[in-house]
Amino acid sequence: MNKARVLKRVFEIIPGSLSWGIIILLIILSVKYPIASAIVIITFDFYWIIRTIYLTTLLIMAHRQISCQKGEDWLGRCLSLGQQKNWLDLYQLVIFPIYNEGLEVLRPSLTALSMSHYPKEKFIVVMAFEERGSRAHDNALALEKEFGSKFGAYLSTFHPDNLPGESRTKGANATWAAKAAKKFIDARGIGCEHVIVSCFDADTCVEPEYFGCLSYHFLTSDKPHQASYQPMPVYNNNIWQAPSFARLVEISSSFCQMIESMRLEKFVTFSSHSMSFKTLVEVDYWPRNMISDDSVIYWKGFLHYNGDYRVVPLYITVSMDVAYSNNIWRTMVVQYKQKRRWAWGVENFPFVAIGFMKNNNISLFKRLRRLFHLLESHVSWAIWAVILVVIGPLPIFFGGRLFSQMSIAYNLPKITGLLFQFTLLTSLTWIFLSWTILPPRPRGVSWFKNVLLILEWFFVPFIILILGSFPALDAQSRLMLAKYMEFNPTLKGNKVL
Amino acid sequence: MFSWLKKDYPIQKARSFLFYLSLFIFFGGLPFILSFALGYKFNAQTLKFVKTGLIYIKTQPEGARIYLDGKLIPDKSPASIQELLPGVYKITLLLPKYYPWKSEVDVEAGKVSRIDKVILFPLRPDLQQLNQEGFSSFRVDIEKGAICYLDQENKIVYRSNLDGSNFEDIASLPEKFGQINGWDVSADRSKLFVFNAHQISVILLDSRDDYTYSDSFVYLDYPQEKIIKIFWHSDNYHLIVLTNRHVAVIESRPQAKPVNLVELSKEPTEASYDNKRQVLYFSDSQRSPDGFSYNNLYKLELSPEFFLLERLMKKKINE
Repeated sequence: MNKARVLKRVFEIIPGSLSWGIIILLIILSVKYPIASAIVIITFDFYWIIRTIYLTTLLIMAHRQISCQKGEDWLGRCLSLGQQKNWLDLYQLVIFPIYNEGLEVLRPSLTALSMSHYPKEKFIVVMAFEERGSRAHDNALALEKEFGSKFGAYLSTFHPDNLPGESRTKGANATWAAKAAKKFIDARGIGCEHVIVSCFDADTCVEPEYFGCLSYHFLTSDKPHQASYQPMPVYNNNIWQAPSFARLVEISSSFCQMIESMRLEKFVTFSSHSMSFKTLVEVDYWPRNMISDDSVIYWKGFLHYNGDYRVVPLYITVSMDVAYSNNIWRTMVVQYKQKRRWAWGVENFPFVAIGFMKNNNISLFKRLRRLFHLLESHVSWAIWAVILVVIGPLPIFFGGRLFSQMSIAYNLPKITGLLFQFTLLTSLTWIFLSWTILPPRPRGVSWFKNVLLILEWFFVPFIILILGSFPALDAQSRLMLAKYMEFNPTLKGNKVL
Repeated sequence: MFSWLKKDYPIQKARSFLFYLSLFIFFGGLPFILSFALGYKFNAQTLKFVKTGLIYIKTQPEGARIYLDGKLIPDKSPASIQELLPGVYKITLLLPKYYPWKSEVDVEAGKVSRIDKVILFPLRPDLQQLNQEGFSSFRVDIEKGAICYLDQENKIVYRSNLDGSNFEDIASLPEKFGQINGWDVSADRSKLFVFNAHQISVILLDSRDDYTYSDSFVYLDYPQEKIIKIFWHSDNYHLIVLTNRHVAVIESRPQAKPVNLVELSKEPTEASYDNKRQVLYFSDSQRSPDGFSYNNLYKLELSPEFFLLERLMKKKINE
C-alpha cells in the first residue's frame, strides 16, 4: 500500500473509530464508573438542550426568510439591476441525472421547469440517461417529443457503463452530461461564465421563481463564480401519500437543511443545487467515483479557490419525493438505506483532509476549523441519539446500590426528564413550522392525516435512533472497514430515484 | 475571514449573537447544573461550594405536608428536599385525618436519604362489625367468601358473607357435647365437625350432600385416647385425627372405626395439613440408641389413590 493510500485509510478510519470509541467509552464508564458517566451524560443533556433551542431559533429565522421571500418577483428584481448586470446574458443549464426513473417521475419535473417564470429560450435542458437503463432511449424519445420545443435547447445524453476511472454514481452520469453540454455551449459561442448549471435530482420540481431568484443572487454576489447556490429542499411531491414516519423524517431533513442555511460558515451543498458552469469546468466537474457528489463538488470549489468559496442559500423551495414503499417495514428499509447513503457523505472527510494537506494557500486555522466542523457533524449525527436514548439510562441500570444512594443518581433521571420536556417544547415549534411548509391536502386524502401529522412527532425518540444514528454509524463503520458503498438509488413509492 | 458573511447577510450577526449567547449559557450554567446534580451548594457567606445531601419522601397516600426541623416546606409528598447540609434532621409528615408520622433522618453528603415506604394510617379506621349474634369463635374462608361463627354457649353455628351480609344460623350443635376443643368447616362447606377430648360430632350443613347421614348428628367416640387435633381430608368425607397416641383416619359416618396410620411416641405439639397436596406434617419424638429423645418433623402423604386407604380400613373393620 502506497503512502497516499495509507493516508486515505487513516482519514477513513477516524470518523467511525471516533463515534464507536465515544459510544464504547460511555458504556464502559456507565458500568465501571457510573458517577463519571452520569456527569458526562448530564453535560451532554445540557449541551443538547442549549443546542436544540439554538437550532430551533435558527430554523425560525430560516423559515421567516422563506416566508418573506415567498411571492417575490425575482425577475423584476433582476430587471432592476440595469444594464451593467444584464441577466439576459445568462443561460440556465439544467441537468437531470436519471438512473432508471420512469416518465411518471420525469414528466412532473420537466413540467415544473417549463412553467418557470423565466425566458425559456435561456434554458439548456439536459436529460442525462444511463445507457444501461432499460427504457432510457424510449423515455428520452417520449420526453423529447413532449418537451423538446419548450426550452431554448433540449439534449438527451446516454452515459456509457463501466468507463475507466468511474463508479456507478450519479456524479459520473452528471459529468458526462455536463461535458456534452459544454460541447453544445462552446459550439454556440456561449461563454461558460454566462452559464449557471443546476444539477437536479430526477424528481425535483422547481418553483416558477427559482431561476429568477438564482439569477438575482448570482448577479449580485461579490464573486458569483466562487459560490454554489442552494435552494431549500422540501419533500412535498407525495408527502400526503407517504407513511407517517417517512414524512416525519423528510420534514426533519428539510428543517436540518434550513438550519444549515443559517450557518453559512459551514454550509455545504446538498441534493439539488446550482453553481457557475465556469467553475464546474475548472474543477473538472463532479466526482465520478464518489456517491456524495452533491457535497464533494462544493469541496472541490473550496479547494480550487483556496478556501474563498461559499454556498449562497436561496430561500426558495424545490420539491422532491418522500422515499417510501408499499408497507411500513419496506418503507423503513428504504428510508434507512437513503439515510445511510446521505450519511455516506462522511467520505468527504478523507477527501477534504487530504485536499487540505496539499493546499497551503488556505490558512491553517481555516483548514482545521472546516475539518473539525465536518468531523463533528458526522460524529454527532452518529452518536447523539444513542447517547440520549440508549446510554442515558445505563448508569441507573449498572450503577448498583451504592450509586443509587448518590445525589447524582437521583438527579440524573430528573435532568434527563427535563431535557425531554424541552425537546417537547421545541417539537411543538417544529410541528407548527412543518404545517406551514405542507402543500394543501389533496382530495381523497383523509382529514385524519392532519391528526397523524401531529401524533407522529411523538415517535421522534424512536425515529432519531433508527433513522438517525444507526444509518450514520453503519456508513461510518463501512468506511472504517473499507467496505465501500455503491450508489443505491432510493425507491420512492412506485418510482425509483 | 468570512467577510462576505457580514457584508451579504446581516442576519448572520443575529445568528452570531445567538451562538455566543448559547455558549455563554452553556459554560455559565454547566457548573451550576453539575454541582446541583452532585449535591453541591454554593455558600454565599463562605463563597465556597459545600457538598450536601437530600431527602426523598414518598407517602401512601400522597399529599402529606412536610415539616423539616419544625419548618413547613412548600412541597407535599412525594417530594425531595435538596441541598441539605450533612446532619440529622427531624421530619414530620402531616395529612388531615391521618396519624402524623415523625422520625429523624441522617443526611450524608452527596447521598440520598430515602423515606419512601411511609404508610399514613387514618385516624378513624374503616371499622365494621360483621356479627349480628354472639359467638365464641369464627373461621374465615376467603376463597368461598364466607365466615362461619360458632356460639358455644347457645350451640348455634352462623354464617355470613365477608362483609357481614346474609348473616344466618345454619346449624345447631349437639346438646350434650360438653366443652368444644376445636372445630372446622369442610372445604366444600357442607359439613362441620366439633370435637372435645374423647368425642367428635359431625354436623351436616348442606342437605343436598350425597353422603348417608343419620337424621341427627354423627358421633364418633374415642374413649381410650385423647383427641388433640382434627383436619378435614380433601375429599370432605374423611377426618384426619391426631390423638395422644396415633395419627388416624376416620370416616364421618355413624359407627365408623378409625384406622391408625402412625403410632406416636408422645402427644404431638404441632401439626399442619396441606389440603391441596393431601400431606400431613406433624412432630413426634424418637428415642435414639444413646437413650436421648429427639424431636422430629414428619411428613405423611395421604395418597389420592384412596382405595388403598379404604382397603386398609375394611381390613381393619373385618379384624
